[in-house]
Amino acid sequence: MNIKNAKFAWVLCAVALLASGTFTACGGSSAKGSSSAKSLNAAPDVTFKNLDGADVPLASLKGKVVLVNFWATWCEPCRSEIPALIGLQDKYASKGFTMLGASMDEDGKKAIDPFVANTKFNVNGTEKTMDYPIVLGTDAITDKFGGLLGMPTSYLISRDGKIIKKYIGVVNEDDVTKDVEVALGQG
Amino acid sequence: MRKTPKFPVLLALLVIAFGAMIVSALRAQDSAAPRSAASVTTNKVYTSLEPVPRGKEFQVAVVVNIATGYHMNSHKPLDTYLIPTTITPQLPAGFTLKDTVYPPGKDLKFPFSPDKPLNVYTENVTLRLRLTADEKAALGDTSIPIKLRYQACNNSACLPPVNVPVTAQFKVAAAGASAKAVHAEIFSATAK
Repeated sequence: MNIKNAKFAWVLCAVALLASGTFTACGGSSAKGSSSAKSLNAAPDVTFKNLDGADVPLASLKGKVVLVNFWATWCEPCRSEIPALIGLQDKYASKGFTMLGASMDEDGKKAIDPFVANTKFNVNGTEKTMDYPIVLGTDAITDKFGGLLGMPTSYLISRDGKIIKKYIGVVNEDDVTKDVEVALGQG
Repeated sequence: MRKTPKFPVLLALLVIAFGAMIVSALRAQDSAAPRSAASVTTNKVYTSLEPVPRGKEFQVAVVVNIATGYHMNSHKPLDTYLIPTTITPQLPAGFTLKDTVYPPGKDLKFPFSPDKPLNVYTENVTLRLRLTADEKAALGDTSIPIKLRYQACNNSACLPPVNVPVTAQFKVAAAGASAKAVHAEIFSATAK
């Protein structure tokens, strides 16, 4: 191989490696699993409304580890992960953790109230309703999180208000449990 | 003796590897990555008669092509909380809606619902309006705006419900005018 060809081959190798990195990154943004936030960005300064119309600033939950879960009553994948989320709330609420279910239903309270009151989920063999805090999500709020491409989408937020991890699609129960334990300082 | 150049071999391997990565990435994006709700479908609208004579029943079909990897609820989902697929025409004066015909969905199970099937549309689905034009229908070029509403998901996430506007465009002719039946592949009795 002459010197000219050798140089060209190395350039090609570099291009291929760069391309490989680019496409790997593309794959990582898919809806299939979770992805770490690029760095520990501060959670956005947003204020939700709860089902009684009261303000719930996200900043008011500082000091707790929070899993903000954007969901909707019509979203079957969202419903499939609710038992795991109820389980997290049951297990870790006393240790400084809270779920925050942010519903994106267009009909708001009218759609959510009957769903929360009447829909029972099998949580480790026990029938339970959604007993964690539910608030109303809006497009303005999701925009501040960087925009929602699909639901469910969840954000794990540290006690000091930093986004630790973003989960696109249904959370893996084992993974999110480990993440919550690490965030609580138990991992 | 000069060594045989290895460069062509190296180049070929790189091209193959690079091509495989592109194909793999495009496939992953096509089937898994959420896109905007409206872009999950491409839609075409057909009319069963050319022209449509006043006084004669005709059909409008909205043929919905659903992106690979996505599904949408059928018109009769199995759960009251799920959002059904619907088409709603805004009829101009002189038109009457006789019926809206939705095909049955398929009962399919998904990774997020392994035990409970969902009744869904996948790939292509044809939704039809049965209409009549009476003597008040304006002669000549006519448009009927139609609202296609659906809520789509892939295997792990859902997109918000969306209203997609589509339009039926055709000509209205006088009563008794000769009309040709068109798009038999869509409107014939045996067509799905």
